[in-house]
Amino acid sequence: MTKYTIRKDEERQIVINRPGEYAIELVGEGARVEILGALVATGSERLVVDITSLHRVPHTSCDIFIRAVATDRSQVFLSGMIKIGRGAQQTNAFLRENVLLVSPWARAEALPRLEIEADDVHASHAATVGKIDEEQIFYLRSRGFSRTVASKMIVDGFLNAVRERIKH
Amino acid sequence: MSRFAPIQIPKIKSPSIRDGYRYGFSMPTDRYEFMSRPGLSKRVVEEISFYKHEPMWMREFRLSALGIFQAKPTPIWGGNLGTINYDAIHYYLRPTTGLKRRWEDVPVEIKRTFDRLGIPEAERKALSGVKAQYDSEVVYGSLRKLLQKQGIVFLSMDEGLREHPDLVRQHFGKLIPPADNKFSALNSAVWSGGSFVYVPKGVTVQLPLQAYFRINAPNAGQFERTLIIADEGSSVHYIEGCTAPAYSSESLHSAVVEIFVKKGARVQYTTVQNWYKTVYNLVTKRAWVEEEGEMVWTDFNMGSKLTMKYPSFFLAGKGARGETLSMAMAGAGQHQDTGSKAIHLAPHTTSTIVSKSVSRGGGRTSYRGLVSISPQARGSKSKVVCDALLLDPESRSDTYPTNRILCSDVSLAHEATVSKIGEEQLFYLMSRGLNEEAASKMIVSGFVEPLIKKLPLEYAIEMNRLIDLEMEGSVG
Repeated sequence: MTKYTIRKDEERQIVINRPGEYAIELVGEGARVEILGALVATGSERLVVDITSLHRVPHTSCDIFIRAVATDRSQVFLSGMIKIGRGAQQTNAFLRENVLLVSPWARAEALPRLEIEADDVHASHAATVGKIDEEQIFYLRSRGFSRTVASKMIVDGFLNAVRERIKH
Repeated sequence: MSRFAPIQIPKIKSPSIRDGYRYGFSMPTDRYEFMSRPGLSKRVVEEISFYKHEPMWMREFRLSALGIFQAKPTPIWGGNLGTINYDAIHYYLRPTTGLKRRWEDVPVEIKRTFDRLGIPEAERKALSGVKAQYDSEVVYGSLRKLLQKQGIVFLSMDEGLREHPDLVRQHFGKLIPPADNKFSALNSAVWSGGSFVYVPKGVTVQLPLQAYFRINAPNAGQFERTLIIADEGSSVHYIEGCTAPAYSSESLHSAVVEIFVKKGARVQYTTVQNWYKTVYNLVTKRAWVEEEGEMVWTDFNMGSKLTMKYPSFFLAGKGARGETLSMAMAGAGQHQDTGSKAIHLAPHTTSTIVSKSVSRGGGRTSYRGLVSISPQARGSKSKVVCDALLLDPESRSDTYPTNRILCSDVSLAHEATVSKIGEEQLFYLMSRGLNEEAASKMIVSGFVEPLIKKLPLEYAIEMNRLIDLEMEGSVG
């Protein structure tokens, strides 16, 4: 398990490049964290990403944005948990998990969870699992791209939404 | 006693605990025909079967379920189940002999109870038929003549077993076998009462059927069992309401509800759960939906100490639809662990789950749900929305969804938000002359309104009134 501790007034971006368990703890007021991940599962891989964000003090924020593409016979498991402890008021937490299934044999499981024990907070999560939109393929093909190229463009666009936010 | 002697009408015991709960009164139990001694044993199960003159297969079904219940460990997820004292519960309470068809024939204590709960009035106004269960037995039942002529069956489960043994044996325990979970095993062992509904092909039951569940005795266990079969192209709306006296001791309610929705049929099942805050409510509800069928669960949970209930649907036929509208309110000392399960087994099936919860006064609400899309469920769609409202810093809200997608040709969306009543919303309403309590009530009403709108008008009015009562004194 990889652990991160975000201290008072610290602002941090964490990029998740490989599967695993990640625990993020916000321990000082004003701590802010952005967690980004753009992942691709191939072959018969079983890609597991488990992220927990624990808010112990008031005035912290966390924004988790994970996108994964499942190809071939791969399986994607995205598990996320936002815990806001008692008294951790004025917390902003957002968890977003999107999975794109590009092969008929690909599988996915998404578990976006929340445990909230403070009332003056904004906490939300959103998860989607879907395939490539046929209308987008149709549009690109009508512009002269082959099906393979069109699919690749859509997959790239899907992951770029996360990649664009990564600071170097 | 001379036949001119005045009828003794027992006094209603009023609740000693004042907490705005209107249904906290109770009636004496000294005239009960039978009360099993507290605790669960093979003997209790045999007694129940004996009193009911059941066929051999049911007696064996019960005894085997008892073994499963005793062998299964208590679940460690969800709410705290470690505090249930199984030895203090009366598993079978038989208040009277037989089910009455005429309201006048119902014993006076029971009649007064249901009068106070407004049942006969509701029946005249807005229902096709009524069942009233008092502790372990259904004491009163009616069904409009016209519906009887159309072949609609609306009986207590005990009557159903007697009058339609083949239909019952074909379906009973098939969707929720005793070994499904610890509490379905308990229900299978000691079940009593509940409803048996059969709607013939192509028949639409216009007005709802209602079952009313009342716990009266202290330390009571109520284990009703409901089976609904909606034949091809039929449609029915079944409503259940639950209340209990304000005892400080704990009661246990554990029901099993199995629903078969045949091709093109529609079933809506509405629950208005308003148990007193010392009742454990551990219920298993499941529907099997065939081609082009539709199942709608409207599940309102406001009462009980702990509720664990996740009404489910198996979308087993092509184009089947399932919808759950779940509302939970938890106040001091309450935990509502509710949600829904959508299992997509066939192509082009759709599910929608909308959950709204309100936590206040240190209460806890948890949404727990599952969406599972199997490899053969091509072109299926599922949408889950969970919104939670927290009214104070002591309360808690959780969201535990699982989305399992084993088919690539699907669309699944899940979203959840947790928030409090906005200062701006309050400020706006208060600047229009409302006090804080009235403004909060209005915001909570608006929050749950999309679900309330799915109820028939009479029930929507009642729900709004109940929510107002729950909210009474919550600000300040």
